[in-house]
Amino acid sequence: MPTIELAGKSYEVDEDGFLQELDKWNEEFAEAYAHADGIEGPLTEEHWKVINYLRSYYQEFGIAPMVRKVVRETGLDLKRIYELFPSGPGNGACKLAGLAKPTGCV
Amino acid sequence: MRTRLAPADISRPSDRLSHIEAGDLAPLPSPYEDFNATAIPPLKPEKVRHIETSLDDTVALAIPRPASPEEEEARVRQFLSGLKKLFEKENNWTFLQPLLLSMEHCAKCQTCADACPVFEMSGRKEIYRPIFRAEVLRRIYRKYLRPGGKIASRLTGDIDLNWTAIARLAELSYRCTLCRRCAAACPIGVDNGLIAHEIRKLFSQEMGIAPKEIHDKGSIQHLKVGSSTGMKPPGAKDSVEFIQEEMREITGWKVDVPWDVEGAEILLIHNAGEMLAWPDNVGAFAVIFQAAGVSWTMSSEAAGYDVVNYGLWYDDVQFSRVAVRHADITRRLKVKKIVIGECGHAHKALTVVADRLLTGDLNVPRESALVTLADIVLSGKLRFDPRRNDFPVTLHDPCNVVRSMGIVAPQRRILEKIAPRFREMTPHGVENYCCGGGSGFALMSGHNFADWRNRVSSRKKFMQILAAFENEPAEVPKYVCAPCSNCKGAIRDLIGHYHAEERSRLYYGGLVELIVNAMADMKKPIIRFGDEPSWKA
Repeated sequence: MPTIELAGKSYEVDEDGFLQELDKWNEEFAEAYAHADGIEGPLTEEHWKVINYLRSYYQEFGIAPMVRKVVRETGLDLKRIYELFPSGPGNGACKLAGLAKPTGCV
Repeated sequence: MRTRLAPADISRPSDRLSHIEAGDLAPLPSPYEDFNATAIPPLKPEKVRHIETSLDDTVALAIPRPASPEEEEARVRQFLSGLKKLFEKENNWTFLQPLLLSMEHCAKCQTCADACPVFEMSGRKEIYRPIFRAEVLRRIYRKYLRPGGKIASRLTGDIDLNWTAIARLAELSYRCTLCRRCAAACPIGVDNGLIAHEIRKLFSQEMGIAPKEIHDKGSIQHLKVGSSTGMKPPGAKDSVEFIQEEMREITGWKVDVPWDVEGAEILLIHNAGEMLAWPDNVGAFAVIFQAAGVSWTMSSEAAGYDVVNYGLWYDDVQFSRVAVRHADITRRLKVKKIVIGECGHAHKALTVVADRLLTGDLNVPRESALVTLADIVLSGKLRFDPRRNDFPVTLHDPCNVVRSMGIVAPQRRILEKIAPRFREMTPHGVENYCCGGGSGFALMSGHNFADWRNRVSSRKKFMQILAAFENEPAEVPKYVCAPCSNCKGAIRDLIGHYHAEERSRLYYGGLVELIVNAMADMKKPIIRFGDEPSWKA
């Protein structure tokens, strides 16, 4: 299993960089991963709005919400989400939020 | 001079049996020539140190390398045990007869080679030739399973069975999309697609080797939590609730998705991936059924809201578990029939292959949504304004629905009514080409497999799509109608990989979205091309 070193800690990830041990997630993980993923400066309130929504939905339903739902619930349009997370809502935001990689025909 | 690769070479150790250079691939037309000069990105050495990569510099399975010669020998014995089972009626109740016929009767006429898009697009690499894989299995079968085979094989073509051959054969069974265009082309009905399937089955059922995306995260997760997407019943209901709200904005009226209605005429089962990745598809079905006054329901029971059955691609045991679960949910809900949403492999799984499995009261009627939809559209119950679909449309024929089941006309009757600028691909219908994502490939993206898919197995489809629209200006938005979740996934990845939205304004979606988009009483278009609505409200 590959690992990634962030802020002095080691995390198990899959080959696409998605966190494998979901309970190991913490805010420093998101900050450090954002930096490694090319997001400049500390995460903003808008970033956290998306990450927190993704995490709370995941905790309730065990999956990431559909992208359109993220748009509606956070009030940020898709263009803005891509500006905040240049790798996109799935490969960018979900990864920072510590969610597992989506599976099935999606 | 280098001689052509032969089946026996599969057991000769080397770093790789075959390799694709950029210039080998069939050239793409303008404005995609820049891709003709770029190769498939190589595997990263640090990520493949412990796995088998000796086939073709691509990895679908990530098989761990055996730790010792003893382990290698044990794996070879396991393979032979599995091979024996493939040829016993007690252990292969599904496909023994076509397998035996295909083993015995290939005349090596090579008609299948010209039918195979992977072979053609790769620059005719020997290992992708449909009979190459089949011939490897045939020679092993003749030598090791037939009485006197070890002597006879010196005449009919010898092959040594070792771990190298086995590991390569496993990977090679995942370089074929099981589209079965080769089988349709064979003058004597040999099915090389089936042989690839049977090889996968041997590896999964006997040796526990299968792609994690379709086994661990697919079949197993489907049975455990209710969906291969990981979606449990409350997640499905939450997604559908959101979809209902979105549809209300499109229609201007309240759209209701009925759940768990006992005795309804129709139980509609979607590929659950639709709810997350293509929610408009789920919404459009609800709009059409409601507008047509259909008695229908969805099921919120685990697996009852996800019609996928990935076992179809690689494992009869997983296949059977899921098919029985689907039939049992239907029986207990006392509905008249199952209607299968826009999901190609589920069509073949639940209607055709499950026919050998579902008996007695489990044998509930099963119908393709394309047929149900054609009945509705042609009934006159819905009012259409086809001018709303005033953009070029072409149709992709999902292999499992069209070639395997012969459902060709219903979707075309629908398009005649609602898509005035529809044009066929060449060829189409039962002679269509696979999207390149068939048999699970659309879900598989480990290492550089997605690049291999986009460059090789989906390449023919991409060229067909471009050709269907070649007389349209680049700036005009174009719609590829693909009534299958797996095909949509592959086509979405193609469009992304080749920047085809930017360069050719290619868009894609299902059939129901086109139907709803043309309904005269809609308040807003359901189809959008990026930010642009497909018609003005």
